[in-house]
Amino acid sequence: MTRETHDPADASSGGDEPRGDGEVSTVDDETPTDRERSQPEDAAGGESAPADAEAAVGDPETAVADAETAALDADAAATDSAYAAGGEDAAADAGGSGNAPPATDYGADRGPVRTLDTRVRLKWAGQVVLGTAVLGAIGGGLAVAFEPVEAWMVLAVTIPLLVLGLGWVWLRYRLWAFQFRTDHLFLERGVYRNVETVVPYVRIQHVDTSRGPVERVLGLSTLVVYTAGSRGADVAIPGLPAAEAESMQDRVKELAVAAEGGEGL
Amino acid sequence: VNLDPRSIPYRLLQQGGSVVLVLVFVVFGPAASEGGPVGLAIGLGLAVLLLAAVTGWQVAYYRRYEYELTPDTFDITSGVLSRRRREIPYTRIQNVDIAQNPVQRLLDIAEVRLETAGGGESEARLRYVAATEARRLQDEVGRRKRAVATEAATRSEGAEAAVAGEPGSRPSGVAGEPAEAVVPDSEELFALQNEELWVLGAVTADLRLLGVLATIAPFVAPAILEDLDPGLNLLLVGGAVLGLVALVGAWLASGIYAILRYYGFRLVRRGDELRYERGLLQQYSGSIPLEKIQTVSLAENVLARQLGYASVNIGTAGYAPGQTQGQRVQSAVPIAKRDRALSLARQVEPFGELTFERPPKRARLRYVVRYGLVVLGLVGLLGAGHLATDALPWWPAGVLGLALVPPAAHLKWANLGYHIGDEHVVTRHGFWVRQTTVVPYHRVQTVVRSRTVFQRRRDLGTLVVDTASGGGLRGSDAVALDLDAGRAATLLETVAARLQGALADQRARPRRESEAVG
Repeated sequence: MTRETHDPADASSGGDEPRGDGEVSTVDDETPTDRERSQPEDAAGGESAPADAEAAVGDPETAVADAETAALDADAAATDSAYAAGGEDAAADAGGSGNAPPATDYGADRGPVRTLDTRVRLKWAGQVVLGTAVLGAIGGGLAVAFEPVEAWMVLAVTIPLLVLGLGWVWLRYRLWAFQFRTDHLFLERGVYRNVETVVPYVRIQHVDTSRGPVERVLGLSTLVVYTAGSRGADVAIPGLPAAEAESMQDRVKELAVAAEGGEGL
Repeated sequence: VNLDPRSIPYRLLQQGGSVVLVLVFVVFGPAASEGGPVGLAIGLGLAVLLLAAVTGWQVAYYRRYEYELTPDTFDITSGVLSRRRREIPYTRIQNVDIAQNPVQRLLDIAEVRLETAGGGESEARLRYVAATEARRLQDEVGRRKRAVATEAATRSEGAEAAVAGEPGSRPSGVAGEPAEAVVPDSEELFALQNEELWVLGAVTADLRLLGVLATIAPFVAPAILEDLDPGLNLLLVGGAVLGLVALVGAWLASGIYAILRYYGFRLVRRGDELRYERGLLQQYSGSIPLEKIQTVSLAENVLARQLGYASVNIGTAGYAPGQTQGQRVQSAVPIAKRDRALSLARQVEPFGELTFERPPKRARLRYVVRYGLVVLGLVGLLGAGHLATDALPWWPAGVLGLALVPPAAHLKWANLGYHIGDEHVVTRHGFWVRQTTVVPYHRVQTVVRSRTVFQRRRDLGTLVVDTASGGGLRGSDAVALDLDAGRAATLLETVAARLQGALADQRARPRRESEAVG
């Protein structure tokens, strides 16, 4: 999220370096919030051109983000740059840190590389904890029922699993990134299988937002973009702040219509 | 217009099975055996009533099923009790297909299926009309479809407008002479010759099974024979022979099936659609609108490759007739000499010479490791079996299987490749069945680069070019496996950019021209 807390001017010029520098320097939590507050006015101006998409889409999100998340983000950004400097090219959001060349060439007139809301980690971690808890309960039941299974065995399985799972959540969040580019939406995600997807705006059939119960509690929303393709026909961006997901939905719709320009399937 | 009256007896015959079953139940069932003659009479009476009811229903179905070709839509009013009225705009009809099985052919009737883009099922099925009427409908719908499209184009509102403004925008001369009075020229693209039919039959078998058998048999057979007692031995040999017979039988069956299915295959270009006919018993005639074609792919299995034959499949958007659901790929050329198949594929989608780039050699190493692990895993299983049952004392010999690993890995690697053309991206993969998929840039939906943990270790990546077709068993997915990761990233950008370029080109050209082929 910090990656959007740049000056809109930077976004339209699209340079990675100024943004990267700015980001590393915004590790103190005051600056980003101030910038967020100042953004909505700019939004009205930059609504029309697709190149400004990210700026427009970014605003409502940053507007709703509270100081607390911003602080979390600043934290995340710091770890991020360390990660990228470590030479792992899988982190496409390395573009944000500025000191390691990104795996993919992010040219001019592209939006900032964006990540998910930090709160999505809570959701994923919840899933992991729940999963291991179920496993642990089964193991506990076995330990009670059968002699050879003992409590420490159960713990010896579940605790490493839990640690692995949480590590996976952390990595998954790290690796999730998306970007509104000139004529397509670019996404990268995946720990075991790292997937980069290019979804041209022309090909977007419709856009949904969906919110599960957990997501509602966390104030999150998932944006689902559908194409007519056979595989990867639907691309989901989880963990977006609800308000942002909706404005992004509208924005993507506009981009799709604009890109289509009267051209059929 | 009603259906053909001959459809009544045919439909009755179709339901005849269940009627006969009821009759059998009545005559030999408990009522007859316990109730004596009275019971039998009552039973027979009931059966007659049932028969009358079924006949009545079929007659009513026939009388209450009407279809009509209006200027803009194909109207169907149907239903005996609950009525249904459908108006299908011509522009939305993708295919008109005709199917005829032997009995239907005897009665000279045929089933007509109207396919639209949405859904996995036919939009409407006319069961059944006279065979000549079926052909007339096929032609007529195609003609009116073009007329409506031309009309819309001349009003320069795009084809969509014709559908949107349905009743009001009645094209001027459609009822009689449509705006486009030109009868589309039919040009035969391909006709399956006799020897090709036989090759098809011989080649169609699923060779993977035979391959597996051939690899395993020399290992297993002698070893098993040695250490088992004669009685069990006989059983095993018998089993093996039976298995072999079953395999050969399956092969023969699939060959015969293919011959029956593709007998008399013809592919004709007619205006802006391809039309094909095929089948010995179940005759089938369908159409593929050129504008719906997403991918063209060449499939060559091992045998066909040795003989120099290939088949051409076409992936379309939306529903493809005669295929199981979700499989939007249809055969354009069941089999032909490779050159002929290629030139035919080029007529459908004019791609240039194909020169394939292979993945880096370290990809091959990856397959060596993968197959090696598989073999070792199998040996491990054999060993475990030995420990558990004391049989299979020769299990360490399984390690010899490792000798197969390098050639297997090489074959896998050697059949991989991709080609980035001016207007198409082409991928190739598969040893048992080599698939070469041609995707024009303007049909690209999304582009994906993926790298698993293992691929990242070797700095490899897979590029997937997704189209609105694809999926299915014969898979027309364009997948370039295990490229250099950096190269894959570049291609990701390239394909995405060329898609935009191709779309811009298309917009610059007039709409009709861009959809015509050749």
